[in-house]
Amino acid sequence: MTDTGELTYRRVHAASPELLFDCMTDPEHLAHFWGPAGMTTPVENIVVDLRPGGVFETTMVNDADGSTHTMRAVYGEIRRPSLLEWVEADVQGGMRTRVTFTDLGDGRTEVVTHQTNVPEAYRSAQARAGFATSLDRFEHYLSTLDSKRR
Amino acid sequence: MVVVEDELSLVFSALADPTRRAILARLALGEATVNQLAEPFDMTQQAVSKHLKVLEQARLISRTRAAQSRPCVLETVRLDAAAEWIERHRRVWADRHDRLAEHLAALRPRDDEEKAE
Repeated sequence: MTDTGELTYRRVHAASPELLFDCMTDPEHLAHFWGPAGMTTPVENIVVDLRPGGVFETTMVNDADGSTHTMRAVYGEIRRPSLLEWVEADVQGGMRTRVTFTDLGDGRTEVVTHQTNVPEAYRSAQARAGFATSLDRFEHYLSTLDSKRR
Repeated sequence: MVVVEDELSLVFSALADPTRRAILARLALGEATVNQLAEPFDMTQQAVSKHLKVLEQARLISRTRAAQSRPCVLETVRLDAAAEWIERHRRVWADRHDRLAEHLAALRPRDDEEKAE
């Protein structure tokens, strides 16, 4: 990890914000890519109740041994096609995922996923920046450790 | 490295405080006593001790038994776990978007209609 270490993931896709928003919220679409690597998420294993407070659940199946992993989340803010938010109450004290879709005006859309998992860390932008900084430091610190271990 | 998720909660909530992050940054340079840690922060020893307790519970630091001064030492295992967790999540999203790109490419012929359903 050479960049910030903040839980932000940015990706540009050649599609409209509307289509990308639908891809992220329609089980038929989600089944094609939800993954992760080595796992598939059959459409019947996906529950989407697209409204604030609605359920977002996916049960991923391990391709190798058939074992399953369920993600349970509840939708927060929803603004098609620009914003999608869900919270996983079970994970690390309430991991919050915010996905924003920004039209780049040339047929492409920037998708930014920002994840925060600690309530104190996402209450203010300041705290968020501080949290990122701390992770920067750790990465730096860890890299010094790695060289020591050798 | 298998990590109980709860331990990560402790780690991340310990990290949510700027003073505690500063303490960890100081300890990254080498062990320090409570006195030494209190100095740059303009805090009472008691206030620092409180923060140290949180860091100790998250197992981000430990204190040596032997010496009277009980200097604090950074514990790297939990930091590794936190960094590893972040990297794991990054990989999940990277893979997800790779597949999404493939899916979009497959959809492209009907992309003009804008009706994905």
